Amino acid sequence: MNTIPFGPRNPPEDPLLAKSAELPKEVEPSRDLWPGIAARLAADKWGRDPFLRQEKVTSPSFGRWPLALAAGFLVASVSALLTWSLLRAPEPAVQPQVASTQAPVTEVVPVSYGPNSGVTAQELLARDELLVQFREKFATLRPETRDAIVKNLAIMQAAADEIDAALAKDPASGMLKGMLAGTYKQELQLYSTVVTSRDGLTRRT
Amino acid sequence: MPRVTNLASAVESSAELVTRACRGDVGAFEDLYRQNVGRVYGLCLRLTGQPATAEDLTQDTFVNAWRSLPGYEGRSSFSTWLHRIAVNAVLAKRRSPHGRNEVSMTDESGAQMEFEAEAPMDEATPIDVERAIAALPPGARDIVVLHGIYGYSHEEAAGMLGVAVGTCKAQLHRARHLMRERMASENPT
Repeated sequence: MNTIPFGPRNPPEDPLLAKSAELPKEVEPSRDLWPGIAARLAADKWGRDPFLRQEKVTSPSFGRWPLALAAGFLVASVSALLTWSLLRAPEPAVQPQVASTQAPVTEVVPVSYGPNSGVTAQELLARDELLVQFREKFATLRPETRDAIVKNLAIMQAAADEIDAALAKDPASGMLKGMLAGTYKQELQLYSTVVTSRDGLTRRT
Repeated sequence: MPRVTNLASAVESSAELVTRACRGDVGAFEDLYRQNVGRVYGLCLRLTGQPATAEDLTQDTFVNAWRSLPGYEGRSSFSTWLHRIAVNAVLAKRRSPHGRNEVSMTDESGAQMEFEAEAPMDEATPIDVERAIAALPPGARDIVVLHGIYGYSHEEAAGMLGVAVGTCKAQLHRARHLMRERMASENPT
């Protein structure tokens, strides 16, 4: 007696599933995704530092490092806001194409963290890997975008210097370390935003 | 260029790398990333059909894996564990308001979807099957990708997708029907 199979057949018996099983399991992405992952892991480390969490609930003496405090707030607000608004700025009506193609590309100088910052070599390495991709994209940006990014980085550098100087006087301050961590995260976020942006930032031809 | 890996040594070193990564060794985790990124990206690409979205989800997968490493008990292989995280990331993306627009590229008949891989993997790749899978509606596509391409059982796939085993089987039946129709219309002989 013949039996009629019921339900889905086993994969080898189904030609479509058999062909599906022959497809390559691995597909390489078009770019190296690790720098972006490493940057997020590094930012995670900052955010989860138990020492920083403990310090956040204590009462900091704001009067001891007013410049650092101001610098930190400046980075947290102006830099992010400037970048955010910049990346969403509408395209100018008339493109300065000649200037775009002839303007020399400004060198990007990453933020330098002082000896009191606590930024580790591993974190700097993760940032440097992200920087490689950032620099490639940076060269393709509109001149005004590049200028704004350089100004952003200058703000971050000034903040990092102020905070580092304050940390030299108050090395146990969790709030100062948190502010420095915020600067580091803002820097990574800036690079990451540029690297992952697909439209609207690059110069038009 | 296709990556050549020695499976035995890769599996052997994978356990050691996982142990080191669990202790916070980012370098070991990067090695795990290099070993597994092709499979994770391949899965995300096939589930979403969009290379850029798949890249984002691949990054999310590895970041989430890093955060979840302390909870990895080794009951399944590391790559299977990563796949579970990747499927979760894809499903979460679909549930998000933005992801709903991005991922749902097909209507129920799959008419408007085209597979967006930049290039075929190699000349032997049966791209017509790949296209037919990409054109499936999400539910049917999920089970073909997990069961058909990556070889997970119905039970495993159902567990990953958070649906009943019967639903998986029904979706597979539907998927085969849709794929046959599409391939017949593309290759009328």
